[in-house]
Order: sequence, then C-alpha cells, then structure tokens
Amino acid sequence: MISKTLMKQTIKSNLSLWLVLTGLQAVMVALVAVSGTNLQQTALAYYNMLPGLISAIYVIVTSNKMIASQVDKGTLAYVLSTPVKRSKVAFTQATFFLGSLFIMFSISAGAHILSHYIGVGSISGGEVKAILLLNVGLFVLNAALSGICFLTSCVFNLSKYVTAVGGGIVGSFMILSIMAMFGESFHWMRNLTLVTLFDIDSVLSGSSDYIWKFIVLAAVATVTYIIGSIAFTKRDLPL
Amino acid sequence: MDEIIKIQNLTKDFGQGRGIFDVNLSIKKGEVFGLVGINGSGKSTIMRHLMGFLRPDRGNTSIMGKDCWKSAAKLKKYVGYIPGEISFPDVHSGLDFLKLQADYMSLNSMAYANELVERLNLDPTAKLKRMSKGMKQKTAIVNAFMSDSDILLLDEATTGLDPLMQKSFIEIVQNEKKKGKTIFMSSHMFDEMESTCDRVAFLKNGEIIHVVDMKTILGKETMKEYKIEFNKQADYSEFLTRSFDITRRQDEYSQVTIHISDSNVDRLFGVLSTMDVRFISHKPYTLEACFKEIYNNTEVV
Repeated sequence: MISKTLMKQTIKSNLSLWLVLTGLQAVMVALVAVSGTNLQQTALAYYNMLPGLISAIYVIVTSNKMIASQVDKGTLAYVLSTPVKRSKVAFTQATFFLGSLFIMFSISAGAHILSHYIGVGSISGGEVKAILLLNVGLFVLNAALSGICFLTSCVFNLSKYVTAVGGGIVGSFMILSIMAMFGESFHWMRNLTLVTLFDIDSVLSGSSDYIWKFIVLAAVATVTYIIGSIAFTKRDLPL
Repeated sequence: MDEIIKIQNLTKDFGQGRGIFDVNLSIKKGEVFGLVGINGSGKSTIMRHLMGFLRPDRGNTSIMGKDCWKSAAKLKKYVGYIPGEISFPDVHSGLDFLKLQADYMSLNSMAYANELVERLNLDPTAKLKRMSKGMKQKTAIVNAFMSDSDILLLDEATTGLDPLMQKSFIEIVQNEKKKGKTIFMSSHMFDEMESTCDRVAFLKNGEIIHVVDMKTILGKETMKEYKIEFNKQADYSEFLTRSFDITRRQDEYSQVTIHISDSNVDRLFGVLSTMDVRFISHKPYTLEACFKEIYNNTEVV
C-alpha cells in the first residue's frame, strides 16, 4: 500500500520545515513548563494559543506539497509513468502527513513531561495522563485540519487554490477560535470552528466530554482523507 | 493479433472547441507511429489518455488489450514516457533523478541508462536546477528508454535539442525500432518523423484529418515531381504541347514543373533527349509538403 521510494522522497522534501516547526513547538512548551508553573497555567499559556498556530503553518504548507504542487509543476508525471498506482501515491502521502503530525506532537508531549518534571521537581500519573491527552487532542485536531487541506490538495490542479481554500479554511478556524477568547460578545464564534472540539477544560477537569469531541475530530480526519484519496484516483490530471 | 495500441472514438471536450474529437487509431506491434499537428491540436491530450492521466468523455484507449484508464499502473511496466512538459522532482542531479526513477520501476541494472547517457553526450552529474532545456530533455529521454519498455510514448521528445542531438535521438529511435519496440511519438519536426515513422497521422483542431503511409513519401512515392528549365524558348513551347501533367508554368524562365509516375519517366526522357535542357531537378514530396497540402485543404468544423 505504501511506495517506499515515494515515502523517502516525500520525507526528504518536507523534513526541513517539519524539523524547524517541531523543534520550535517543543522548545516553547518546554520553556513554559520548565519555569515551574502548574499544569493549568501551562495549558492556558501554551495549549490554548500557540501550538495551533505553529502546526497550522505546517499543515497549510505541507498539504500543498503532498499532491497539488506536484500536479501543478508536473513532477507527478514521472511517478505515475512508473507502475505506481494513484491510490498508492495518495495513501503514501496521507501516511506521511498523519505520521509526521503524530511524531510532532509525541515530541511535544515528551518535551512537556520532561520539562514539567525538571521545573516542578515531580510529576504525578494524572499529570502525565493529562499532558498525553492534550497532545492526543492536538493531534486529532491537526489530523482533521490536515484532512481538509489534503482534500483540497487532491482536488485542485493549481497550488494557489489549495492555499486559498485549504489555507483559508484552516486560517479562519484559527482566527475564529482566537476571536472567541476576546470576551462574551465574541463567544458565539466558538461554534463555528473545529478548534473548539479540542476541549482543554474537559481534559484538565477530568470530565469525559473530550472523548466524543476527539472522536468527531478523528472522524472528520478519516472522512476527508478518504474522500480526498478517492477523488485523486478518479480525476483528470493535467500532466 | 498484432495490434498493440488502439484508440476508439476517443473524445475529450475541454469546451470552446478545444479538445479531441472522435479520434480513431490503431497501431501495430513494432510500428513507429507519428502524430503531427500545430500547437494545441490535441497531441498531448491523446498521449495523456494513453498514459491514463485523463479519462475519456467518450470512447476508449487500450494498450495490449487493457484499458488505459483502468489499468494505468499495470500498463506502465510496458510503457516508457516522455512528457510534453519537463519538470523534474526535487532531487539534486540528473543521476539522482534517474536512480530515483529506476527505484520506482524496480530496475536493477543501469547499464542501458549509461549507454544512453553516453550516446546523448549527457553529463548526468549536473545539477537539475542548472540544466539547460536541452540537457533536461536528454535526461527525460534517458529516463523513458532506460527500462527497455516494449512501448514508448514520446511527446515532443526533441524540443530543445540541438541538431546534432536530434540526430542521436533519431538513431536511438531507429535502434529501438530494430529491437521491435512500438513507438508512438508526437512532434512538429517533419524531418525527424520522415526518418523514423512508418505512418504519420495529421491532427487538426482535435480531429485526425489524414493518416499518411511514409512509403508514399520522400522519393519512395511512385508519382514524382520534376522541375525542368529549357535554354530555348522554342523547346519550352514545344514541351508544353506534349501531354504531360503540368503543375506549374513559369513562362519568364522557360521553366515547368510536372507530375509524372515512374512508369512514364522513359517517355519524359525520350521527349527531353531532343531538347536543350538547362537543368532537371527532382522535387521530393516531403512530409511537410504533404501536411501543408492536406492541412490547408481540410476544413474541420
């Protein structure tokens, strides 16, 4: 199902951005947590605002490179002139995209746990669980956002449309979630963005609300990745 | 059944009169088949259907009896391709690119690739980004031929090549033909087609207007054109009274162009033997002349 050659090639051409943003994100959470603040405050300062923005940049830039820019530039012609199926191309790229996000948040989770331990001096099982859950939440959120962008990357022939539509949707979700923090009168905006389903309060308070919300995000990711891949295998390619 | 590529009623309408309309072609195993047409006449669109990149609106294309759209990936084991537009993936050098492609194709030996590199005088270690158009084209040519595929689809393979390299390319194509490969190529270089193709199809506004057998072209034709100039006006006038098929008269030069079949050429020399001829020259019927003639005389709705 996966083309090893394509996977190697995809990793090579996306590694630098991934490294920079993964590193940045891990350093940021570490800097907050190592100061010895408690989990609640770290969550407020870090999980509420920043990682969404960093990973959103990664999602928007990378989604375009997954399929659309290769169609736009015509480089995909060389891959598809070999016995590699389109479905294999889509599956390989999707695996890379989701895998790279998974590793990105695993590293952040590790950095948070380690720096919390260093900063506070101890860490409880409950705190480890909460940190892991927060990063699982960020992962499913970004999986959903990347799914939307991946879908646009599969459907459009031109990179600029992917950036406009996929980037536009993810960007608006981010802006809406930030706007909603600016007081009661903007609070309704929370209902318009997927970011709201990343329910930090529920994770920290120990309620089980987050479970269905995470499942919805995972479902959005699954559906968009599958529709995108199918659309890619069925459409005309101007190569 | 030696038919290897089949295109039936292929139609792809891009709107505004662009696209290809009801194209029918049948290419035999071992044949070199050319496709000529001006820019935008639909050459690449036909190629893209054969590659399974485009899905026909109507009709179908098949290679070795398999549908080009449904069995696209499977067929690539037997097909080498040069795309109309060359744009390489994000790798360092030409050699890296060729190795990458060999990897996709599970190709073990680069021996033939090296031979081609040598023959095209290509420096494969050059950086892809700094390559000239011709060098990129050469790299694409090596890529298409190196897996020794039975079928080759070449979409304007010589664009950007200098005349010397065009010759090398023609030699490579002729060589592949000797090996029994089936080659389907589009081009607007008539001389390139003349020296390689068995048959050539003319494409106008997305429709095939004519398929010419190269046996009837380039001196191999039985009807030939000769241009004759006389030293004396009297001979000229005398010649005009003999019943030859005269296609052009230039009274001021005492010059005449006639159309005559090989079987009648004795009669021509019989007549000329008593006359004062300044020169006689054979005007070969080229593919280009044939194309122009048919192209201008065919109306496509």
